[in-house]
Amino acid sequence: MAVGLLVLLAGVMLASACLGQTVVSPAEVWATLRGTPGPYDLVVGELRVPRIVLGALVGVALGVAGALVQTVTRNPLASPDVIGVGHGAAAATVGALATGLVSAPSALPVVSVGGGLAAAALVYALAWRNGLQPNRFVLTGVGIGVALSAVVQMYLADTELDAAEQLKLWLTGSLNGRGWEQAGPLGAVLVLALPALVWASRAVRPLGLDPETASGLGVRVDRVRLGLTVLGVVLAAAATGAAGPIGFLALTSPQLARRLTRTPHLPLVASGLTGAVVLVAADLVARTLVPPLEIPVGALTALVGGPYLLWLLGRRP
Amino acid sequence: MTRRLIVWPAAALGVAAAVVLSLAVGTRAVPPSAVLDALLRDGGSPDALVVRSLRLPRTEIGLTAGAALGLAGAALQAVTRNPLADPGVLGLSQGAAAGVVVAIAFGLADGFGGYVWFAFAGAVVAACLVYAVASRGRGGASPVKLALAGTALAAMTAGGTTVVLTSSSATLDQFRFWQVGALSGRDADSVVRMLPFLLVGAVLVTVCAPGLDALALGDDTARALGHRVHLVRGSAALGATLLTAAAVAAAGPIVFVGLVVPHVARRLVKGGHRTLLPLSALLGATLLVLADTAGRVIRPPAEVPAGVMTAVVGVPVLVGLVRRKKEIA
Repeated sequence: MAVGLLVLLAGVMLASACLGQTVVSPAEVWATLRGTPGPYDLVVGELRVPRIVLGALVGVALGVAGALVQTVTRNPLASPDVIGVGHGAAAATVGALATGLVSAPSALPVVSVGGGLAAAALVYALAWRNGLQPNRFVLTGVGIGVALSAVVQMYLADTELDAAEQLKLWLTGSLNGRGWEQAGPLGAVLVLALPALVWASRAVRPLGLDPETASGLGVRVDRVRLGLTVLGVVLAAAATGAAGPIGFLALTSPQLARRLTRTPHLPLVASGLTGAVVLVAADLVARTLVPPLEIPVGALTALVGGPYLLWLLGRRP
Repeated sequence: MTRRLIVWPAAALGVAAAVVLSLAVGTRAVPPSAVLDALLRDGGSPDALVVRSLRLPRTEIGLTAGAALGLAGAALQAVTRNPLADPGVLGLSQGAAAGVVVAIAFGLADGFGGYVWFAFAGAVVAACLVYAVASRGRGGASPVKLALAGTALAAMTAGGTTVVLTSSSATLDQFRFWQVGALSGRDADSVVRMLPFLLVGAVLVTVCAPGLDALALGDDTARALGHRVHLVRGSAALGATLLTAAAVAAAGPIVFVGLVVPHVARRLVKGGHRTLLPLSALLGATLLVLADTAGRVIRPPAEVPAGVMTAVVGVPVLVGLVRRKKEIA
């Protein structure tokens, strides 16, 4: 299944490199990729390819993060956005920009990751009471999220209109005008996280059982949960730092992947690949749907993901 | 009985104190005597000008929107039998906000008079959707399902809003000031136009008060006591939606007033919704006016919008409620 998803991902990435305002043939994309100087160096080489690679990385990070958080909360409705990561990252970034405390573009991803981690830590601490009860975790996250988005709106109203438009774009989650500058750090985070991910892929299985059975098997449930949460939050925050908070991707990818692979627990690798496929495809749609307008991809995932979550909630067991 | 004799005058006094503070405090401090002067005599002094033209309208909006949200929150908590219900948490405010964006973006309405109908339509759609979704499936409309349905709807609306806002910077410019939930710079007419909505909503909710008491005992008991459960639930929800829409159209989406106020009110008075509802209205008005006043002095020379202040007050209450319950299904 992972191989199939990889092939699908390659196909979607190629399609995205070919299509757009200028349509480029696959052969010419290949030539550009191999470094042969040609007429499409700008469109394909400098604009589309970096953005597509970034989209794939963000998708992988969010898909894996979603699988981790959903495993911890044992709740298909939970995602890093629900437990405060997206809101925290957004509040920190917008706050830093609006107050002028941090203005160097290279420092912003760090601010964003810091904000996401801080918010998630706050939610985790507030929800902790003789252990982590999943629903308490989710509800606390929703509350903190609502409060943080009020803060974001405040800064948005404070800034000049030009800056506000930029912030609004970032706040929705967008790959517009992004590329290697954001893909580099995110790729590095993913590589560094690999050993932890290998550990996590073994740890998620017992957590799929109920807590009593898992601890009966000798799993230190609370510690494993904390470890998985930290890993998930770091990945989600890094992705948010690169592309802004892209709603519902972390929520939907693991569920899609689980249906594709038909495993009882949430498969990490497949979740990541599914996230990448969905995000690259969504970005392709977002930038070609109503030309010349480039809809932020986060708006599109929210429009599609929202009904999915509602359906998931309303489904009879 | 003695408790009532203390609570009601104290609540009234609280409203009065909040109003005086709101009129007196700000970048330009105006002594209370001058406030009184400005209100009673048509003074032309700079003090009087500030009080009459700037602070009075926003205090009025704060009072009405706060009262509306307090009432709406109390009614929603009874209708959904859910202590965490709040127009913001349930997505009603965001639904109303989406309605307003549509109105602004397509030039369908300008100012409160037009906004409120779109806000109402948006809030009704959101209310129906969230409740319909959350009440399906196992366990009915549990706190988690309602909150998540509200969140999903809010995120979805935000996505749609963004698509509209990306294509029009003029809309963004209007929308972002309205969106923040600040009471400053609002249309002074808003209050007058809001009153009919507020009154109809308040009457609907109040008429349902005995039915809401019965709902707390469970649907079957309520039915046995002779209440038409669906009618009570439907009309109370409609009243709450009207109240929310009016408040949102006038003041932007203000979160957590509807959550916090009924809980405080329940601690202060025993007895059913006939006492709980009016007290929630008084406390809501006090809370919002005080939040707006505090927001003026906290970050000079800029202001912290009232909506942000209420969020800061509301989160600890929400977290406390969530933590107190042992198991939340």
